[in-house]
Amino acid sequence: MSYTLRGRVETRLAALVPVLLGACVLAAALHRWWPVELVGLMAAVGLFLDLEVWHRLLPYQPAWAPFPLGAVELAALMAIVYGFGLHASLVPALALFGAGWLAQLVLAQAGFPSLRLGYAEDGGELGRIGGAAGVALVLVFAGSAATYVVRLPPVVHLTAGVHRGPLVIRRREVLQAEPGAVVRGGIVVAHNDVQIKDVTVVGGQNGITVDGVHGTVLDGVTVQGAKLDGIHVRSAGVVIRNCTIDMLGNRLGQAIDISFNMDMGMSMVEGCTIVGGQEGITTHSSATDIMGNRISRTTGQAIDVDEMSMGMASGNTVRDALGVALYCNDRSMCMFDHNTVIGTRADVASGIRTRRGFAVLADFQAEADLWRNTLTANPVATGAVTGATLERTSQPGW
Amino acid sequence: MAPVAVVGSGLAGFTAYQTLRRVLAPGEIVVFGTDADPAAVWRVQAAAIRQREMRSESDGHCLPTSFPGLAFSSVRRRRSPRPLLESVLDRYHPTVDEFLSHVERLRERSGWAESFVLRRIDRVRAVDDGFDLDGERFAQVLLAPGHPGLNVPEELRDDPRVVHSYEPHDYASTVTVVGAGLAAATEWLNALAAGAEVVSVRRREPVRRPLNVPREYFSRRGLDGYHRLTPRERVERLRTLTAPSYPAGGRWDGPLDRAAREGRFRVEPSLNGSAQVICATGFRQGFQHDPLLARLVAEHDLETADEWLVLDHDSTVPRLSDASRTLAVAGAPAQWAFPAADTLAGARYAAHRFLRRIQSCRTR
Repeated sequence: MSYTLRGRVETRLAALVPVLLGACVLAAALHRWWPVELVGLMAAVGLFLDLEVWHRLLPYQPAWAPFPLGAVELAALMAIVYGFGLHASLVPALALFGAGWLAQLVLAQAGFPSLRLGYAEDGGELGRIGGAAGVALVLVFAGSAATYVVRLPPVVHLTAGVHRGPLVIRRREVLQAEPGAVVRGGIVVAHNDVQIKDVTVVGGQNGITVDGVHGTVLDGVTVQGAKLDGIHVRSAGVVIRNCTIDMLGNRLGQAIDISFNMDMGMSMVEGCTIVGGQEGITTHSSATDIMGNRISRTTGQAIDVDEMSMGMASGNTVRDALGVALYCNDRSMCMFDHNTVIGTRADVASGIRTRRGFAVLADFQAEADLWRNTLTANPVATGAVTGATLERTSQPGW
Repeated sequence: MAPVAVVGSGLAGFTAYQTLRRVLAPGEIVVFGTDADPAAVWRVQAAAIRQREMRSESDGHCLPTSFPGLAFSSVRRRRSPRPLLESVLDRYHPTVDEFLSHVERLRERSGWAESFVLRRIDRVRAVDDGFDLDGERFAQVLLAPGHPGLNVPEELRDDPRVVHSYEPHDYASTVTVVGAGLAAATEWLNALAAGAEVVSVRRREPVRRPLNVPREYFSRRGLDGYHRLTPRERVERLRTLTAPSYPAGGRWDGPLDRAAREGRFRVEPSLNGSAQVICATGFRQGFQHDPLLARLVAEHDLETADEWLVLDHDSTVPRLSDASRTLAVAGAPAQWAFPAADTLAGARYAAHRFLRRIQSCRTR
């Protein structure tokens, strides 16, 4: 087949129509946009290659050519997907690409030639069908984009000054604080897909409570003076980024406590600075990644992966922790890698052997894997007690 | 007045008929010809050169759409996926028997017999809103007269040793084959296989390519540029494109190399004392050799360029086609519109455009 440029483009667009419709159905079923985004990306990559590469390179395209061409397009697509972090699951994304490729192959080799007289001699041009396909794609993409925009949560701006709490968020929204905005008395997140950005919270039972909802994002929040926990998460999926939590003077509270959300997918704590508190970051029955945080002066454990949790603590810096810095306890499965632990102090007053100043401690049948951690000036570097195991490996046991 | 007539019952006319049948009933089409079997002439010629495989590929058939091709029916018949795999690699060539069976099946099921009229048309004359074909009037006419006869070089016409490759023949012990196209290459191998000593006489080295013309000339990709050429440039391009050629590959080169090493095959510039001279020189070229076309051109003062009848891009005769009537040409005389017009794909090209004209014609 010798495609004209127009024929190549029209054939691609027309073949994408059923795939895009399928992606829309999939997006509706999953309540996720990535299928539509992926098909949009497939169209963009394909059209770019058609215009800039394939048309110039292939005056005649044999029937076997879709195989290597498809491989190149898949490689380009996946590079972009991962490069831009589109959050597409690998297998469904591959399946969607495969469906698109197969639709193109079948339609170009059999469907269009059997439906349209002169498809081959017209160089793949489809006449009105080609134009209609282009319009259909534009409409579907435009409709999807419009739906996406309409469904974006409203942005609520919190003006500078002190706002009296507790502030309870009962709808899907983005709470964006202006510099100098402070909520006194805490915030409670009571709806799915809430984002809180740049808010300073002072006081409250918990600084921020997230309970029974999913899709919460806390970005750039500052918490100080909470009576119990700084950020208290129960049965909820969260992403916490770039937070600052001051728990000095709070002997029993946790700076961040994420518990009982194993069924909510992965949670994440990243780039936070924590000072004081009994525990810096603690997870119970949770799948949470703890990455790149700075934790100091805790009185219990700086990072505690506990109670059948599963997670990775990576690239964190822990200083001046009392008793234990990194703790993997109670049948949890932990991967501690590239962390720096400096100056852990022995909790002599407690009289407990397992609080002798461990940089890393695995307890009660937990499994901790260690890789390239820097452990400096700690009374005890590592330890495993009551049936727990410690292993040095770059591959977590799970 | 019946709406549509096809003049010529060979493969080009037959292919056009299959396309017309997408829209018209057999009773709405009249096919004038001299043989009810559309493959009658081609069959004899293929048999004469002992052709076993088509040069064309899966889409070298008479159906109106390029898909499904002959590779699919071959898969069913041979009960093997091999034809399809070969087709994907551009290596599938239907056998002559498969092609003839395909023509026969199509002939039986398409109503061809109902439309066919055994009659040679000698004159086509433009009249008000149509054309007069030896006394009968039609608004839409497709001329598919076929090749205007076998070409034998002037200097060999009276040589008693001469036989044309497309006429039935056997092989003498020493054979000179004149020509350099597919028929010539086939005859080299035939004569060598028959034990003859073979001399190839040719004016130029053959072009090696899989199809009659480069593949891009089968689609708009190559045709758009071709159609933009000036008449003089187009004549030059046609002379280049229609130069003798046959496919590359060991199937052809292996036996020739072996025979050359054994001293049984050589190339010479002129005839020698061979017992037999086979003219693999194809067909006479040019509208002036076809009485019907020559008369049409003369009576209507149609534009020509050297031996080619000048046609519109859609293979219609410009001066005689308008909103109410169409005179189109298919087959070898339509090369002005489609360089590979003498192939089955070329016949389909003319037929598709003829059908578009019919569908857009205000008299229908």
